[in-house]
Amino acid sequence: MSVAETRPGPAPHLAAAGLVKRFGSFTALDRVELSAQRGELLTLLGPSGCGKTTLLRVIAGFLQHDEGTLRLAGRSLDGTPPEARNFGMVFQSYAIFPHLSVAENVAYGLRARRVPREAAERKVAAALERVRLGNLGARYPDALSGGQKQRVGLARAMVIEPDLLLMDEPLSNLDAKLRIEMRDEIRRMQRELGITTIYVTHDQEEALAISDRIAVMERGHIRQFATPREVFESPAHAFVAEFVGGCNWLDATLLQDGAGAAARIGAGAAFALPAATRGAEGPARAALRTEDLRLATPEDPPGCCLEGRVGSLAYLGPRTRMRVIIGPGDAAVEADLPSALPLPNEGEPVRLSFEPHRLRVFAPESGVRIA
Amino acid sequence: MSATGIAAPEAPSWPARLLRGIRHDPWSAIAWATVAFMLVFVAWPLAELARQSFIGQESGRFGLENYQTFFGSSYFRRALFNSLTVGVLGTVIALAIGLPLALAFARYDFAGKPWIEVAILLSMLSPPFVGAYAWIMLFGRSGLVTEAARGIGIELPPIYGAFGIALASAFALYPVVFLVVRGGLARVNRTLEDAAASLGRGRIGVVRTVTLPLILPSVLTAALLVFLGIISDFGTPSILGEGERFPVLATLAFSLYLSEIGAEPGMAATTCAVLVVIAMALVVAVRIFSTRRSVADDTGGGAPPIRLQGRAGALLGFGTAVLVAIASTPQIVVTVCSFLEVRGVVFQPVFTLDNFARAIDALGDALWNSLVFAGLALALIILVGSAIGYVIARRTGPLTRTLDLLIMVPYVVPGTVLGIGYATVFNEPPLLLTGTATIIVTVYFVRRLPYMTRASAGIVYQIDRGLEDAARSLGDPPLTGFRRVMAPLMRPGILAGAAIAWVEVFSELSASIVLYTGGTRTLPIAAYQQALSGDVGMAAAYATMLVGVAAAGLVLFVIARGSERERSLGWL
Repeated sequence: MSVAETRPGPAPHLAAAGLVKRFGSFTALDRVELSAQRGELLTLLGPSGCGKTTLLRVIAGFLQHDEGTLRLAGRSLDGTPPEARNFGMVFQSYAIFPHLSVAENVAYGLRARRVPREAAERKVAAALERVRLGNLGARYPDALSGGQKQRVGLARAMVIEPDLLLMDEPLSNLDAKLRIEMRDEIRRMQRELGITTIYVTHDQEEALAISDRIAVMERGHIRQFATPREVFESPAHAFVAEFVGGCNWLDATLLQDGAGAAARIGAGAAFALPAATRGAEGPARAALRTEDLRLATPEDPPGCCLEGRVGSLAYLGPRTRMRVIIGPGDAAVEADLPSALPLPNEGEPVRLSFEPHRLRVFAPESGVRIA
Repeated sequence: MSATGIAAPEAPSWPARLLRGIRHDPWSAIAWATVAFMLVFVAWPLAELARQSFIGQESGRFGLENYQTFFGSSYFRRALFNSLTVGVLGTVIALAIGLPLALAFARYDFAGKPWIEVAILLSMLSPPFVGAYAWIMLFGRSGLVTEAARGIGIELPPIYGAFGIALASAFALYPVVFLVVRGGLARVNRTLEDAAASLGRGRIGVVRTVTLPLILPSVLTAALLVFLGIISDFGTPSILGEGERFPVLATLAFSLYLSEIGAEPGMAATTCAVLVVIAMALVVAVRIFSTRRSVADDTGGGAPPIRLQGRAGALLGFGTAVLVAIASTPQIVVTVCSFLEVRGVVFQPVFTLDNFARAIDALGDALWNSLVFAGLALALIILVGSAIGYVIARRTGPLTRTLDLLIMVPYVVPGTVLGIGYATVFNEPPLLLTGTATIIVTVYFVRRLPYMTRASAGIVYQIDRGLEDAARSLGDPPLTGFRRVMAPLMRPGILAGAAIAWVEVFSELSASIVLYTGGTRTLPIAAYQQALSGDVGMAAAYATMLVGVAAAGLVLFVIARGSERERSLGWL
């Protein structure tokens, strides 16, 4: 199933269609479809080795794709070397030139473009001001903190007024607190300047917080390309459900009964699926997020719930993670429950219930969403 | 905002396409050009020697005749045996000096350490044959020590022959052991030693069961370098072996090729081949052994050295100082003697500049030639070596591997062999180079290029690839980005490599001795000739000049490095 969204509206600023990139017999990118509207911040999210950095480097021009087309404002980028693309790039390693001062670093791209000295100095000063390093222009990089270095990297990439800003895990080397601060700042500047941005990260929270749209990648494929809310709320693929948010995975059987489609979890209860689900029958994988599970009350009817006994409890502050063995064998689910509730002890029987529409069902082989 | 420079899809002619290809990927072009050069100036001469070694000296037929002659004759077998004896003995002595020094320097801080280190590095300045000559001045038939001992009725054993050559070589090459093993020790993860100690091993036990096995690869590498250095050396065995009396493979090949009585190029080629086969076999053996026992561990470097104070520190300082002083004696003796008056063949305790006056009179173009040839070669080495080092570090693939291999061949092949190869193939059109300055500069360049490519590759490995990507994404084509970003960052490493290359090129003897003619005589050749059969005072003066100029060059490099930090970068 094609996961690329087709949206009405203006022609995309950047458009990748059917991109394939192979390294020897390894296919790093497999028929990738991607498009970015002008001014959009688009994130490539995925685990290491999923192809997100390869895709970014193909867009940047450091790698040449083997098949497909890559267009900027309707024009093909084939054969345009990186230096002629006018894309700004921000690196995980910062890649700040250690032999140049902060101001010289920022001026680097202007110098390559033969911008007259005075204009360049003005632009550099403004760019440093924007990243709040106005007073550090004369410093050398070895006297900067990681966060400051990445600000220099940002200023350097933005001062050339790029047609596209590419960011390769720019915050991975920063500590947790600074990461949040910087990502908000990046988002603010990106909005202010309206720079179309492709942002690579493996951090789902970062992706959700910063993006207009997210492309979730796995093994060279884009599994879903949608807004952060859509990606989280209605994952189009088992991998997306697992990678963004995490899930309990249960073996399920799809049934068609008089009332419509239903999914039977293990050998237990069957749960009705939305009416839109038609025709599917047989084995499937069902996913439930830990936060969608709650302790069942006596009012919940017998067929509504997962039944088992408490395997273990882990206190996580406001919430407690309960592992429930639901059998057969050691099949189990984990539920995040408010710590304030009275919880059963280990070994005791327990019933967990959930809203039926929270149950997501995926095809067992392809991982495609069924319901 | 604009998307600049999007290429128009025309169909250009092939030269235009080639040019565009070079502009887009200049590094491949540089790599290909260097491979072509190395094929002509390394592979061809050596292949030709190999071919000639199979052409019978007597019969002219293709076959193993020369090898039968070689291994059937006690004279040739003796040269082979001598080479191996001297090589093994010298390596053992060099290890005996270098290993304790390396251990002491890597693990402890003690009194006088920086000065002793400078002394060790200084002793790398003088070519081995200068040391050999110094040993003759001290322990030769009419040497200073020999005469003094004779004066009190003691007859010292002669310094000529295997032991003298091994000793002189070891004293010249032990700094290699020191540097390589100390580098290896610095990479040993010190927590491994702590772990062994916590498991109940005593200090000696830790060294035996953990430290030594971990540094074994670097010890082997050091031993290999020393052994290759000794069996490749021409000057030392020639001076201390008194020519034909104690032949080794290197001197034998030389005299077979240039014999006044009747050159035997076939047998010379065979001798070269034997020498190269020994060298290559050892390199391959060490390589296989080292990769099989790779102990690379980057999880933690060595801890800082332990400061030894009081008696222990003084003792260690004294011990290492004595060791280094003994090893430096020859150089000191030569330098001092060059300022002493000579009567007949005996130095008098009277200071004079007389030796230098006579030496400069007889110098001719030798010093000027040396400066020009070495300077030109060094410029080429820096330019090509830093570019190729970059390619080797950044590109992987068959082309790069071939290039690396071709460049490293002259590192292993003895200079005399390369010299004979050059004299054999470049003596007719289209490449008639024998007797020219070009051939000397080329052989200098080819022999010492590996130092530069290694040094520059080493530093490129440490530079973040992102910097180049950043430069390109900011609008610089590859070569511009290289000039603006990589070149300044590689400078310290290039200077370090260039400093070593300078000393090596300036004192090169083994290959140039085969290739020089009257007009292209160099300072090392002049020094060698005087040391072999000439005026003892002039020989000492030449040797001192040789080391002095090499040192002066080195000082320039140090100054160049020192000013690095202060250099104003301005508006690039």
